[in-house]
Amino acid sequence: MGKVNTLEQAGALVNDRDRLAMGGLLLQRIPGAFTRELARQGKRGLKVMKTAANYDFDLLCLAGCVDEIAAGFVSFEAEFGFAPNFRRSVQEGRVKFDENSCYTVIAALRAAAYGVPFMPIANLGESYLASKFKTVNNPYGNGDGDVLTVPAIYPDWAVLHVQKSDEDGNAIIYGPVFEDLIMARAAKKIILTTEKIVPLTEIQEDIDLAAIPGFKVEAVVEIPNGAFPGACQPNYDYSPESVEEYLTIKDNGALAEYLEKNNP
Amino acid sequence: MSEELNYSKADIMVVTMARLLKDAENAFMGVASNLPFFAIWLAKELYNPNLVWLNIPGRVNPSPSYAPKSTVHAQLSHKGTASVTLAEIFDMSARGELDVAFLSGIQIDFQGYFNLSHISDGTRIMVQFPGGAGSALICANSRRVILWRTRHDKRTFNEKCQVVTASGNVYKVVTSDVVFKKDGPTLQLESIHPHTTFEEVVENTGFPISPAPFTPEPTNEELGLLREFDPENVREIEFLG
Repeated sequence: MGKVNTLEQAGALVNDRDRLAMGGLLLQRIPGAFTRELARQGKRGLKVMKTAANYDFDLLCLAGCVDEIAAGFVSFEAEFGFAPNFRRSVQEGRVKFDENSCYTVIAALRAAAYGVPFMPIANLGESYLASKFKTVNNPYGNGDGDVLTVPAIYPDWAVLHVQKSDEDGNAIIYGPVFEDLIMARAAKKIILTTEKIVPLTEIQEDIDLAAIPGFKVEAVVEIPNGAFPGACQPNYDYSPESVEEYLTIKDNGALAEYLEKNNP
Repeated sequence: MSEELNYSKADIMVVTMARLLKDAENAFMGVASNLPFFAIWLAKELYNPNLVWLNIPGRVNPSPSYAPKSTVHAQLSHKGTASVTLAEIFDMSARGELDVAFLSGIQIDFQGYFNLSHISDGTRIMVQFPGGAGSALICANSRRVILWRTRHDKRTFNEKCQVVTASGNVYKVVTSDVVFKKDGPTLQLESIHPHTTFEEVVENTGFPISPAPFTPEPTNEELGLLREFDPENVREIEFLG
């Protein structure tokens, strides 16, 4: 099997209980179509992480796919309000929310990307989040105190949506990269969805932007509008109507209907 | 006040925060930060054109052509002057290079400690909030943190936050009704927006405060610029719903 797969084949690469770093941020360049495929395939026990999320993590909570979320922020913004299924799942004890500062999510991924066991970080002040992390004595200091550290987290997969990839997964992101490049380096392997599969020569024309290396990519799926209902600039903005429609889902029947209708 | 005011609570919050940026070197705004968006935009237009605008999409000094409802929208990267990613902004903060940062809390206590995490009964989470995003790092390491909150009631402004998501270098707290300054270890009332009274503010604040003068009202110039840039009143969005 080559790397160019269907959404279904790419989704099947993910095992129950895998840890996924999911690209984009809030409603920007998220792997929306792939998230719905995880829900359709009924994945269980996933651990997911990113700095700030809404639709994708909320949908995985609604579909019962996720056991643990590591993030700094899980909510829609003022236009849509809190992430209702995330809230309910955490309050009912079905999902563990490992609240982080966005900075410590990045630190955990950086440690993995650098191949070191932990990252020393700046202090977090008086915060309950600081108590989650251990300190080490600064071996180069002059008794000037301990340094907070964040342990490395190695995601099994970075799941990223990009504007352009060749069939080997050499890919270009236009516009804000958010934490995608750190995720790509921290993860063991990458699953890519892309607006368009292009010849390698087209990637080579913009080679300085080709920050996703094909050698780490296991699967490439061409899905125009793959960030839906999120945005993928400059191609399209997020769809407020579709986010509102998603937020009306109240039960498994409505969810199944939604996943059927929005495939991919 | 019986007199009809020609501006909204959002307007006075925006202009008050914009004026706080007159001498700022740089200002960072995060997710779900509509009022800071307008404050930074207005400050750059009117008071401090050299202010360095930092945001989550990671484009320095954008020139948005309209006011988006999302504060991580592509408009926040429109015609930026350089690329500095969120991770690098956190690094700047860790290095002590962030001057002003805008943060918010669902609960804010008399010391300016705030909670964006959750409310628990001691063993389990009763109410899950969105999480503090980058605020723990940024509040502890930025030079001046401006907290804003569009709701002013005792549930928000309380004696002590059960859970502290972040604390540190709080400088001012701008609410729908007042401005607090952090003076020593505690928040002190600095001014009261003219639509309300000291008695009402006492009623809605869960810690002791002393009388203060009225907040200077928005000027016609400030209001004119805001209305021209934001004819759809996106700046009211945090007051809706």
